[in-house]
Amino acid sequence: MSIYSTAVKKPVSTIMIFIAVIVFGNYSLLYLPVDMYPEIEPPYITVMTTYVGANAEEIETNVTKLIEDGLNSVDDLKEVTSRSEDNVSVVTLEFDWEADLTEAVNDIRDALEFVKDKLPDDAESPLIFKFNTSSFPILFYAVNANESFNGLEKILEEKIVNPLNRVNGIGSVSVIGAPGRRIYVECDPLKLDAYGITVEQIGQLIGTENMNVPSGHIKMGQFDYQLRVEGEFNDSYELEKLVVGNNNGKTVYLKDIASIRDVKREKELDERFEGNPGMRLMIMKQSGANTVQVANDAKKMLEELKESLPPDVNFFEIMDSSSDIEKSINNLSQTLMFALIFVVLVVLLFLGKWRATFIIVLTIPISLIVSFTYLFVSGNSINIISLSSLSIAIGMVVDDAIVVLENIIKHIERGSSPREAAIYATKEVWLSVIATTLVVVAVFFPLTLVGGQTGVLFKQLGWIVTITVVTSTIAAITLTPMLSAQMLRLKESKTGKRSFYDRTVVRVLESIDNGYAKIVNWSIHHKKVIIPLVTVIFVGTMMLAGSLKFENMPEQDQSGMEVNVELQTGMRVEESMATAREIEAYIQKEMPEVKLTYTSSGSDDEGGISSIMFESATHTINMRLKLVDISDRNRSVWDLADVVREKLEVLPEIISYTVSTSSGMSFGGGSNGVDVEIFGYDIKTTTRIANEIAGRLKTINGAADVKISREKEKPQLQVIFDRDKLSEYGLNTATASMAVRNRISGMIASKFREEGDEYDIVVRYDEKARNTIADIENITIMTPTGKLVRVSELGTVEEYWAPPRIERKQRQRMVTVSAVAAKGLALSDLAELVKTELKEVDLPGDVWISVGGAYQDMQENARDLGLLFLIIIILVYIVMASQFESLKMPFIIMLSILFSFSGVVLALYITDTTMSTIAMLGAILLVGIVVKNGIVMIDFMNLLRERGVELHEAVVTACRSRLRPILMTAMTTILGMMPMALSVSEGSEIWAPMGITVIGGLLFSTVITLVIVPVVYVLMARKGARNKKAKLAKTFKFMEA
Amino acid sequence: MKSVFIVYNQANTERVEYMLDKLGIRGFTQWEDVKGRGSVDGEPRMGTHTWPEMNTALMAIVQDEKVEELLSAVKKLDDINHEVGVKAFVWEILQMV
Repeated sequence: MSIYSTAVKKPVSTIMIFIAVIVFGNYSLLYLPVDMYPEIEPPYITVMTTYVGANAEEIETNVTKLIEDGLNSVDDLKEVTSRSEDNVSVVTLEFDWEADLTEAVNDIRDALEFVKDKLPDDAESPLIFKFNTSSFPILFYAVNANESFNGLEKILEEKIVNPLNRVNGIGSVSVIGAPGRRIYVECDPLKLDAYGITVEQIGQLIGTENMNVPSGHIKMGQFDYQLRVEGEFNDSYELEKLVVGNNNGKTVYLKDIASIRDVKREKELDERFEGNPGMRLMIMKQSGANTVQVANDAKKMLEELKESLPPDVNFFEIMDSSSDIEKSINNLSQTLMFALIFVVLVVLLFLGKWRATFIIVLTIPISLIVSFTYLFVSGNSINIISLSSLSIAIGMVVDDAIVVLENIIKHIERGSSPREAAIYATKEVWLSVIATTLVVVAVFFPLTLVGGQTGVLFKQLGWIVTITVVTSTIAAITLTPMLSAQMLRLKESKTGKRSFYDRTVVRVLESIDNGYAKIVNWSIHHKKVIIPLVTVIFVGTMMLAGSLKFENMPEQDQSGMEVNVELQTGMRVEESMATAREIEAYIQKEMPEVKLTYTSSGSDDEGGISSIMFESATHTINMRLKLVDISDRNRSVWDLADVVREKLEVLPEIISYTVSTSSGMSFGGGSNGVDVEIFGYDIKTTTRIANEIAGRLKTINGAADVKISREKEKPQLQVIFDRDKLSEYGLNTATASMAVRNRISGMIASKFREEGDEYDIVVRYDEKARNTIADIENITIMTPTGKLVRVSELGTVEEYWAPPRIERKQRQRMVTVSAVAAKGLALSDLAELVKTELKEVDLPGDVWISVGGAYQDMQENARDLGLLFLIIIILVYIVMASQFESLKMPFIIMLSILFSFSGVVLALYITDTTMSTIAMLGAILLVGIVVKNGIVMIDFMNLLRERGVELHEAVVTACRSRLRPILMTAMTTILGMMPMALSVSEGSEIWAPMGITVIGGLLFSTVITLVIVPVVYVLMARKGARNKKAKLAKTFKFMEA
Repeated sequence: MKSVFIVYNQANTERVEYMLDKLGIRGFTQWEDVKGRGSVDGEPRMGTHTWPEMNTALMAIVQDEKVEELLSAVKKLDDINHEVGVKAFVWEILQMV
C-alpha cells in the first residue's frame, strides 16, 4: 500500500495526523520567544587584567604580551587583538564561528594558569568575559531629577530595582552613572605637619574606631547575656569628634585638622538627559526568556512603581527593544498575511474553483506551522529572520499541491470517481513532485552548512525552507488527494451554458496560451534571430553589472544615532561639558526629529568592566540621539547624521568626531566602513603614517568619520624618586609611592554603614593642597624614624608625554585609520579610492598596511556565497541529470539561471539598489525557483517526444500546456515577495533587496526562459532523438535480415 | 459457462467491482497493475513517466445467460468516457474442477 492510497482510504487517520501536527505547531508557537534576531554567541572572548599604576607601555610589555603569547595556542583561535592602556590590559580573542566557546573558555583558563606566575605581583588575576547577544539590555531608561537628585540612587535602588528584579524573566536591573556616596576626610597638610600626624595614621585611626566587637557572653542569674562593644559610627558627623592626638595637653579632634564631607562621589563623568543631570537604568533579561513579554511585564510594573516616586523624577525611554521587535514582527506578519492573500487569489484565479483553492491553500498553514515546531525544538525564537524565511517559503509550498490537484481534477473530469481519481492521479505524479522538491532542497539545504556570521542568518532560512517545502510535499501526496476524494465532485449538470468564470478568466487565459504558442512556434523557426538577440540581452545586462555598487549588508534606519566627539587630550571635564551643551542646543534647534538626547561627557574614574566596551576619557563626549518613528519624519537618519556632522565640522575645539547611525546590535548593518591597519613597532613612525593616511582619506569625497584609533599622546606627571636618597631616609619606592597615592587619590580608611549599605571613608589631602606640581613636591612623607621629609627632597616631579593606549593585532602593534562611506558612496567604491590613495603613501621597511573592516567582511561573504553557489549548482545539476536521465538536458535549464542573473542585475540597476549579501542570497534563492520552471517545461517536452509527437509540435504543445502552471508559480512567488520588496517600515531595508532581486530576476528570467528554453531544446533534442532510434536499430539487427 | 476477461483503467476499479456485485457475479480473479496498449487508438498503459497510467485485468467465469448482461454493463461504463478505457473479451470454458 502506497502512502497516498492509504491516505485516501483512511481519511480519518490522515486528518488526525495533520491535526496532531497543527496542535504541536501551535503549542510551539505559544512557547516560542519573540526576538529581533536569532540568539547568537559572537565568537569573542575577552581577557581583562588590571595592573594599577602601570602606564600603557608597561602594561603592554608586562601583561599584554605575556597573555597574548600564553593564549596563542588555544584551539580554533582566529585572531588576537589587544589594547593596553593605563592600568588595564584588554586582550580579545576572536574564534571561528563554529568554535565551541565553552571549551575555549576552559582552554583559556588553563593557559592563563601558566601565565599567572609570570605576571607582575601587583597585577590582579586576569578575568575572562564572554558576550552573548541575549545579555544585551532589553530596556534602557534615562532617569533625571532636580531636587531629589542627591537621593536618586537610593530611591531607584529601593523603589524600582528591587521590585523589578522580582519580575519573571528579568535577569538583572542595574543603575548606571549613579554617583554613589562617599565620606571624604580632607586634611590640611600644614596642620598635619604641625601636629606631626600623617594621613596614614588618620586612616588607621578611623579604621580602628569604626568597629563593633563581639566580646563574649556573661551569665547573670538565669540569663546568658551577649556582650558587645559598639564603636561603629552612627552618623558621619561622629567623625569630626574623633580624637587624633594630644598637643600641649589639648586634645586634637579630627575636625581641627581636616574637613569632613559626606557627599556624592566626585567623578569625571557628567551625564545629562534633556539637559538635566541623571542616571541610567538598564534592564536585562534572562537568556531564553521572551524579550517582548518580559519587557512588557517590566514596563507595566514600572508604571505602577513610578507612582511612589517623588514628582520631579522623570523617566525617559532610551531604548525599548520590545517595541522595536514588536514593530518589526508586526510588519513581517503583515507581509506574511499579504503574501498569503496574494497566493490565495492567484490560485483562485487560475483554478476558478473554491473547493480546489481551499484544498491547496490548506497546505500553506500546515507547512508553515511545522517550522514553528522546528524552531521550538531547536531552541530558536520567532525573529525577523525566521519570519522572513516563512514569507520566502510561502510562494513555494503550494506548487506541489497544485500539480497533484490538477491531475486529480483531470481524472475527475474524465469521469473517474473522486476517490479513484485521487489515488491514481497522485500515483502518476508523485515521483516528479518529489523530484522538483529535491531541486528546491538542493538549493536551500546547503545554506544550512554556511558558517560565520552570515551562517546564523542563512542557517534558519535554509532549515525553514527545507522543512516547509518537504512538509508541503508530504501534504501534497497525502492530504491533498484525501481532501480531493472527500470534497471534489464531478459537476453532473451540463447545461451547456458557460459559467461566468469560463466566460471571462478562462477566455483570457486561453488567448494568452494561444498567443504564447504562436510566439514559441515563431521562435523555434527563427533560431537565428532569437539566439543572437538573447545573447545580446544577456551580455548587455552583464555589462550593467559593472556599474552596480556593492556593500556588505544594507544599512538600516534604526531611528537613532550615536555621536562621539573628541576634544584636545587632557581637557578637563568641565570644558567638555560646555561643548556638549553647545551641541545639544544646536540639535534642539535644527533637528526637531530628535525625540531624546542623552549626553555623557568625561569618564567614570572607576572604569572597571565597562572599560572593555567603552573607551572614554575626560576629553570625550558621547551623545545618543533617539529619533521619532520613520513614518513621522521626512529626513532619514543619514540625512540627519550629515546635519550633525556639519555642526561638528565648524566647532574649533573638536579634534575629531564620529557620527554612527547604527546601534550596536544589528546584523553587520553596522559599520559600513573601510579600515586601514598599519602595523609597526615604532609608535612615532606609525603615528606619522596614520596621520598621513588620515589626511589623504579626508580628501576623498564621500568618506566620512575618518578616525585614527590611536589617541594623541597625553601629558602625564611622573614622580621620579632618587633611590639613594630614599634609602638614606630608610624609605623605599613602595612606601614612598604609596604615601603619594594616599595623599592625592586618597586612602580608603574604613566603611561607613547605614541602613544596610556601605560607603567608603576616604582620607586625603584637601583639594587646595593637590592642585599644582609644587603641591606634589611639598607632600610630606614620614620616615621610619618619625622625621617628616618632602617629596622634593626625595626626587623630582616631571611632565612627559605617553601614549594613552597601545593596540595590537596578531601580536603586532597596530594603528587603524577608519573611514565610513557616507550616503551616496558605496563601500566598494570607497575601498577602491582608499586603495589608490594608499599606493601614494611611502612606507618604511618595517611598517606594513592591510585593508580591512566591513570591506573585508564583504569580500569574505562574497567568497563564501560564491562557493555556496557553486555547491548549489552542482547539487541541482545532480538532481536534474538523474531526473532526466540525461547529461545535457540540465544545461538547457541552467541557461535560465543565467538569465535570472540578468534580471537581478537589471532590477538592482533600475531601482538603484546596491548589491549586498542579502541581494546575493536572493539570487541564490532564484536558482531554485527558476530551475523548477525549466523542469516543468522540459519534462513535458520529453514526455511528448517519447509519446512519438513530432519535435516542433511537441515543443509548442508542451509550452502551451505548461504555461499556466509556470505563470502560477511565478506569480505566487512574485506576489508573495512583493510586500517585502515594497515595505518601507523599520527593518525593511534588510529584506527589501532580497524581494527586489527575486522579483526582478524571476520576472525577467520567466519571460526569457519561456522563449529561450524551447528554442535551445529544439537545437539540442533533434540530434539526441535521431541517435536514439539509430541506436535501437543497431542493437536489434535480426529484423533486417 | 463462459469466461469474461475485462481489462480496464485502474481508475475504473470501483465501478467494475460494483458492477459485478450488482449483477450478482461472485467469482472472479483480478490482476492489478497490468500493462498494455490498445490495438487501434487505446492509449498505452505502461506505468512509466511517459505513460503513467496502469490497467487492472479481471476474469470472471459466468453462466452463459449472464454474459450479455455483463457486456452491456461494460459498454455502459465505457460510454461514460471512452478515454478512460474498459474492454471485455469472452471465451468458452471447456472444463472445470
